[in-house]
Amino acid sequence: MKVHEFMTTKIEFIDASKTVYDAVERMVDRRIRSVVVRFPGKEGDYGVLTTRDIVFKVLAKGTNPKKVKVSEIASKPVACIDKDMDFDDAATAMERSNIARLFVCDEGKIIGLISLLDVMAAELVTRARGNHVS
Amino acid sequence: MFLEKIFSHGKKERQVTEDIERHIQLLCTACEIFKNSLERNDRNLIWEVIELERDADAVRRDVISHIYEGAFLPYIRPDLCKFVEIVDEVFDVLKDTAQYCLDYELPELLREESTRVALLNFRMCEMLLISFEAMLKGADLREKILGIRIYEKKIDDIKLILFKDAERVPVADFWAGKILSDLLTGLTGISDIIEDASDHLQIINVGTR
Repeated sequence: MKVHEFMTTKIEFIDASKTVYDAVERMVDRRIRSVVVRFPGKEGDYGVLTTRDIVFKVLAKGTNPKKVKVSEIASKPVACIDKDMDFDDAATAMERSNIARLFVCDEGKIIGLISLLDVMAAELVTRARGNHVS
Repeated sequence: MFLEKIFSHGKKERQVTEDIERHIQLLCTACEIFKNSLERNDRNLIWEVIELERDADAVRRDVISHIYEGAFLPYIRPDLCKFVEIVDEVFDVLKDTAQYCLDYELPELLREESTRVALLNFRMCEMLLISFEAMLKGADLREKILGIRIYEKKIDDIKLILFKDAERVPVADFWAGKILSDLLTGLTGISDIIEDASDHLQIINVGTR
């Protein structure tokens, strides 16, 4: 199964100049676990900020999230895959890089993301389809 | 196996199961054509969907009359008829949704996600066909039904995004807004009915063991 069939397109973007508090607010509000950080200047210059980054790098250290910029703790660059990649290959890429989500990119633009849960769901569907390849 | 005996013996029974398979195949074709019409923004394809719905109606009538002419044991007949009726309901919603696209141009903002929903609807129909064929062979449907449920959840996720995006679409008047709302409701509601059909298939499967 190709990743574009099952990817999540609900992606939130946040400007690098915003604070971690802004990001937390948005993530809690939208019930999402990561936001894509947009850096000024070059088109397609992205980073990613996850709940893990926020908890480990800010909250657990007792730092005030209103005083930390998103750009200071975001991970860069983001891991991107092609929309026509198979889920099997995506799973291998996630395992190799030890990451829980991969962004799906088209001509340098992020168009979706796949998480470990999406990989599991895709695996179940592939098993259910058996020899009926889509 | 008991199930295989129920579904394979007798000319009438075979005729019914072949017709039900054809009914679901028609649904797969109709869903694929509808997906293509959204993808290519080709309204001419909508007429093919409408035509297929008529063909499917004829197949449904054949199935039900063959069943009541004596195919299958009486206790299983209502469940088989119900299954065919549910599949036919999918056709009705698909046709209504497709017809909205004849007079209304789907906004570009919604086209990509709508096409994804149409693709997933098509995949669900394929999965329903796979499940039906598996049932005829007496196979366990657990994995297949789970596959259908996963597709349905995915469509539910997209539905939220679609309706949120639809709020940003400017509408000319009340009727334009209503058509858009009905179109999206139909498009995202097809998966619910396919899920109902798969649940009913499981009931038939369990009931005949």
